[in-house]
Amino acid sequence: MQNRDQSEAELTLAPRSDPGHEHEAALIGRIQSGERELFYELIRPYERRVFVIAFTILRNEADAEDAAQDAFLKAFKYLAQFRSESRFSTWLIQVAINEARLRQRKSHLEIMRPIVDQENEDGTYTPRDFTDWREIPSEALERKEIREKLVEALGSLAQKYREVFVLRDVEHMSIEDTALALGISAGAVKTRLLRARLMLRDLLSPGLEGVWTGHSQIPKGTKPWS
Amino acid sequence: MDGSFPDSKGDKTMVVKCEDVWPEISNYFEGDLDPALKLAMEEHFAHCAHCSSVRDGMRNVIGLYGDKAMFPLPVGFYPRLHDRLADQVEGRKISRRDWLVSVGVTGALAASAICAAALDRFVPRPLSEMSQPARRLPERLVAIVDGGKKFHVPGCPFMHGKYHMVTPEEAVREGYTPCTRCMRDALRSAGNVTPDFEGEERASSATLEE
Repeated sequence: MQNRDQSEAELTLAPRSDPGHEHEAALIGRIQSGERELFYELIRPYERRVFVIAFTILRNEADAEDAAQDAFLKAFKYLAQFRSESRFSTWLIQVAINEARLRQRKSHLEIMRPIVDQENEDGTYTPRDFTDWREIPSEALERKEIREKLVEALGSLAQKYREVFVLRDVEHMSIEDTALALGISAGAVKTRLLRARLMLRDLLSPGLEGVWTGHSQIPKGTKPWS
Repeated sequence: MDGSFPDSKGDKTMVVKCEDVWPEISNYFEGDLDPALKLAMEEHFAHCAHCSSVRDGMRNVIGLYGDKAMFPLPVGFYPRLHDRLADQVEGRKISRRDWLVSVGVTGALAASAICAAALDRFVPRPLSEMSQPARRLPERLVAIVDGGKKFHVPGCPFMHGKYHMVTPEEAVREGYTPCTRCMRDALRSAGNVTPDFEGEERASSATLEE
């Protein structure tokens, strides 16, 4: 147990914001008026986000890059259909998610669903009780093998949890924007986010000397929280 | 673990159990909790090792995955993306770099054409044989009578019989000698009278050649 004395401010996640809505609306207007090259400026803050969400769904770097490129192309093609009352970033993420899901269906990746896909999100979830909890320091992310293990843990979650977790906790989108992007309610986002965070906590809590450096302590085909 | 503990002030205004904490622990990090519930949960964390490890583990998860180092972009991602977008975003136009290259090449070609045209004005191009101006005929051809040994100015009264015309150089080269009568005047008028001619003139002065 660590950091119990951390302040409330540290424990509570800071509000997250997107780039200025008005600036984006002005950019979009100019692009539609013929200044097409401003599209690069418009998408620059979201290039990484689009790739990451595509990677979350496809779980393959090359496929994710292709999907991200296709998403940007479609966004440019259908920019006229964008309604300025919503955030461009949310609309763009919707395009990216649709593109990645389409590619996923084409490649039949949905057949390889993680076992947790069948988990009922409405059911109660009991976090595992680790008597020897160990924090993974952020410096560990400098090691590629550690990052790969973390990506592997995320990839073991059902897609519906991965999507919510990545948009909220990786890309820092708000609950409302995450709900809009995924076409689900804010309540569903919160429920899935709770489940995703708890599952990842259970997978990570043994620490780097546990599941990350050796064989998984979780028997294949079983659920660690059951 | 039972979370029925008094709060820090000793008031039992709200008591939560582990089962109450777990569903709300994500909202705890979102800052989306009723203040009373939040206070009760913090009191619970102070006494419950399991729930505090869940809280700390979740904080670790959020911190790790929220780090930008977690999902680095593939090397070359941006150039590949912009190359892919260039055709659509910039229409059928070529890229700025290609545009500069094409302008440079076009300019160089135009400059070469201009230079070639200018040179053409000052350096005469060879013309075909038919377009050449007629060669200037020698100012004076000489006549050689068939079978004779001298060459004459055409119309010389000392010529008899058939003759053909040659240049004076050809006549000299072939061993013919000038007629002392007709050729003397012609050569003098041209300033080309040589002493030999004068001597020859003396040797044959009274002799009719033909």
